[in-house]
Amino acid sequence: MSAPAVASLTCPQCGSAIELRTLDQALSVVCASCGSILDARDPNLHVLQEFKARQKFTPQIPLGTRGTLKGEKWEVVGYQVRGATIDGATYYWEEYLLFNPYKGFRYLTQYDGHWNDVQVLKAAPDETMSGGRPVVTLHGETFKHFQTATAETYFVLGEFPWQVRVGDRATASDFVAPPRMLSKEKTDEETTWSLGTYTPAAQIWSAFGLPGEPPHARGVYANQPDEFVSRAGSMAKRYLLFVAVIAAIVFIRLVTASRETVFATNAQFFRPGAPADSLAFVTPSFTLRGRTTDLEVTTEAQVDNGWAYFEYALVNEQTGTTYEFGREVSYYYGRDEDGNWSEGSRRDHALLPSVPAGQYFLRVAPEAQVPTPFLEYRIVVRRDVPTYTPYLIALALLALPPILVGLRAWGMESARWKESDYSSSGGDDDDDDE
Amino acid sequence: MKHPIYTTFGALLVVLLVVAEVRGWTPMRPTEVKNIPRSIRDNPGAYRPHYRTFFGSGHYMRGK
Repeated sequence: MSAPAVASLTCPQCGSAIELRTLDQALSVVCASCGSILDARDPNLHVLQEFKARQKFTPQIPLGTRGTLKGEKWEVVGYQVRGATIDGATYYWEEYLLFNPYKGFRYLTQYDGHWNDVQVLKAAPDETMSGGRPVVTLHGETFKHFQTATAETYFVLGEFPWQVRVGDRATASDFVAPPRMLSKEKTDEETTWSLGTYTPAAQIWSAFGLPGEPPHARGVYANQPDEFVSRAGSMAKRYLLFVAVIAAIVFIRLVTASRETVFATNAQFFRPGAPADSLAFVTPSFTLRGRTTDLEVTTEAQVDNGWAYFEYALVNEQTGTTYEFGREVSYYYGRDEDGNWSEGSRRDHALLPSVPAGQYFLRVAPEAQVPTPFLEYRIVVRRDVPTYTPYLIALALLALPPILVGLRAWGMESARWKESDYSSSGGDDDDDDE
Repeated sequence: MKHPIYTTFGALLVVLLVVAEVRGWTPMRPTEVKNIPRSIRDNPGAYRPHYRTFFGSGHYMRGK
């Protein structure tokens, strides 16, 4: 864009100089000094509306500022503050009119630090209903209805390609498909559609060379892109990949595990209630061959409404290294007003980690409290037995990040729609409560 | 690469699982004691374990 062509005029209301940047494209121009809205097509600058704004606003991007946005040069020529009153509260937003003599006009909108780059559409998108809510389709993309409200113009500055007035009203409907938003503005005379794209404030600041940092955005805006949604999706896919890898490892493990029984003793009896020391015994030696692996000690005792406790010591005959552990087997059952019940199990598995090859024996000290004089029990020792616990822990740990990201995405979507007509605390749903 | 931290975390976890399988690691942690006297074979009742599942009297306490 070459040097700006500016026509200098004089405000008939206050005599201040007025610059006209869009020249013959302007239909109205606002005197920056007195706020009067003038007819830009009238050689005498007929006053369309005297200053009516109740409050004066200062644009964050001064009029006349030029910048390069998305590869094209634009100049800020107009500024208006509009608002919508919902449930008694008025929400204001800013609209900046940008001009390029070769590209025409486009807009920047700002609400609570959220910016949108907006272009007016030449053709209306298709409007339909889906799930009882209005939706519109543009170029194959579906936009969900977000909110409909009456937008009113509260303040204007600069020049506009239409006859702007403070107090102008239009019914504005927003449809979102983040990061895009379709807006429909309907007046008695016309219906206009525009397409907005959420633009980070830092990009606006950089494009127009604005000083300092942009104000922080508050809350979640209607079409603010949610990076967590796509992140949660791709993370879930990565999780499924890990699930497949772990399933493959489990399968290989199940196929290759030897589950070799290295020792088993059956039908041992003792007198329950006797001191454990007096009943302690050692098993015959058994040999563990092959690589260091886990060792499973299964204890099965025919306890009925009682318990048995087995104090084990697995002793390596060559090195004297001993692995001590205690296991309990208890089983209770009965019947009460809720029916039959049972608790515990007659079988217990202990999985000792990393037991090296060698010659071993078990020292067993059993102890029990059962209603019978004798107790039958059985001890089986197997090596290289697969266990699922580490895999389940790994799958749970791997699931945590996608779940957390998914929760974050859900939270953002909830916050987004909380501001819509479909919030449970307001909007259309209020009608249901009445 | 998408999610480099998560991917690295997952890959490390998978490697850890493989190592755990090769080494025979399990969540159980028995008390490991070195150099147990050979007399345990002759007098198993005299052996005293080094872990604490006994209370006071030296007997396992359990009841319903």
